[in-house]
Amino acid sequence: MSENKNVGDAVLSVPSAESPPPQKNQKQPKKRGFLAQKYHNATFATKNAIAGYLFISPFILGFLVFMFLPILESLRMVFSDVVPDMENSKYAMDFVGLENLRRVFFTDPEFNRLLTEELLKMVFTVPAIIVFSFFVALIINQKFKGRGFVRSVFFLPVILSAGVMLGLETSSALLNEYRDLIQESNALTSGITDVLEELLLSGGMMDDFLYYILQIVNQIYNIALTSGMQIIIFLSGLQTISPSMYEASKIEGATAWESFWKITFPMISSLILVNVVYSVIDYFVRSDNTVMTKVTNEISKMDYGFSSAMAWAYFLIVIVVVGILAGIISRRVYYYE
Amino acid sequence: MKTGLRQTRSLGGNIAVYLVLILFGAFFAFPLIFAINHAFKPLNEIFLFPPRLFVQQPTMDNFYDLFTIMSRSRITFSRYIFNTVFITAAGTFAHIIIASMGAYVVSKYNFPGSKLFFKIVIITLLFSPHVTAIPNFLIMTELRWVDTYLAVIVPAFAMPIGFFLLKQFMDTVPMTLIEAAKIDGAKELSIFWRIVMPTIKPAWLTVMVFSVQNLWNARATNFIFSEELKTLPYALGQIIGGGVQRAGVGAAVTMFIMIVPLVVFISAQSNIIETMANSGIKE
Repeated sequence: MSENKNVGDAVLSVPSAESPPPQKNQKQPKKRGFLAQKYHNATFATKNAIAGYLFISPFILGFLVFMFLPILESLRMVFSDVVPDMENSKYAMDFVGLENLRRVFFTDPEFNRLLTEELLKMVFTVPAIIVFSFFVALIINQKFKGRGFVRSVFFLPVILSAGVMLGLETSSALLNEYRDLIQESNALTSGITDVLEELLLSGGMMDDFLYYILQIVNQIYNIALTSGMQIIIFLSGLQTISPSMYEASKIEGATAWESFWKITFPMISSLILVNVVYSVIDYFVRSDNTVMTKVTNEISKMDYGFSSAMAWAYFLIVIVVVGILAGIISRRVYYYE
Repeated sequence: MKTGLRQTRSLGGNIAVYLVLILFGAFFAFPLIFAINHAFKPLNEIFLFPPRLFVQQPTMDNFYDLFTIMSRSRITFSRYIFNTVFITAAGTFAHIIIASMGAYVVSKYNFPGSKLFFKIVIITLLFSPHVTAIPNFLIMTELRWVDTYLAVIVPAFAMPIGFFLLKQFMDTVPMTLIEAAKIDGAKELSIFWRIVMPTIKPAWLTVMVFSVQNLWNARATNFIFSEELKTLPYALGQIIGGGVQRAGVGAAVTMFIMIVPLVVFISAQSNIIETMANSGIKE
């Protein structure tokens, strides 16, 4: 075994004649500790489970402490009136039942309206993102000159949308002024076409037709900006399809069109599911989502109980949406065995 | 595609592909081109209205100014850079290892509770950091991790998004590959390290790009209070905080922050491309 540096070789190679006779396999009573003996006698399934738990335990530990506990804590806040105690960096919670949730749905003037708007927008945006990113991934997966450069260009939005500009410190009023200035002149938040419009208007070449074109372009731009990660996911998925499949189908006489629908599409279908889930979630937790903005605003007002209730109501609704979509799509996903 | 399979495309098709690429590429590159040009603009051009995309009289003034401000700061600037590089490198490395180990067994081992755990992970994807910020701070206080690197690095280990992506890619690794290694006597760890990880290299490179990008931009001001532990984006944010007269420096800073994740991606992407041609299984 150890002669083979590469395990992949070991899989394929037939044991050569020179390999030493398998003496080690001859029964020699081995001394084992109690636990080791137990492990030795365990069934395959148990061994599998033990290995599984060992492998996943670091992740579970981190996940429980830094994701799960805080989330549970915020769930507790939903049903409480939270009184922060700044000096000891603690807070007191009084149980108030469903009062916070009632405020979210029935008292708050904005929440229902914003939520409906965002849901409707999502219905149009997510399919557009999926189609667009799939299309782009297909194109940049092909062989052509300057492919690496083009791929890097298409990754730019992922870096930029993380909000190098938007994410900078918000504390200074002067900075806000500066940021407004950027936003006026920059396309990052207000849309690429505003600048163009400005330029064209000042040049006196603006008419209705051009205006509509610019509207459409503006939409494309927004979709393009949010689909960087999806493109990467699709692209890595396309790389996993073995070229021998295309080769075989070509020898059998399949056209490019057929091999796209019969090979590429089924092979990548699991990643369509991934991307739909990712896009929906990304759409809803993006910081420029209006509901998200509202939740963040409420948090900064220190009204933790109310804001937690709003966040949870929002997330439960999003989970239902994701669940329905995932349920529909996963029926059609093809897993290659 | 080393197997000699050639894409046959007409000249017209080629032109169409390039046209589409140029069109969309221009969209994607616009903000970067803008930021780079902005960084080289003298002040009077930055405030020009209507704005121009391309710089007319390029100048290095903004970078000199940035350098002057940096050399005057109380904490040496290299310290900020070290903090951010350390946080990014340690967090990303451990995140990839820990998340791939977890994703590997959830995808391939099917032990009791694995499906449920994955569902919980997907659900937690939905919780933005804002919602958990306060409880998270209390936990850090309990652990006495406030004002240390740990408060930023360790939570990054268990980022659910990386786990989710890796799990989905592990699903595409054929079970036969793992079984073959097992039959040949490979131990669990060496299967993971020498077979699974090389096979899904594109996946963890993707996760790496994502994680670097995330940690590199971390300001971490809610966990770290000592000035000497603070990160680069925070320091640069402070510089911009000087106001309108720092607009030129701000443009230089923006370009500076964008460059590193971009370089990481460019160096990773050539690897993402060619590694996955064949997983070594013949049906």
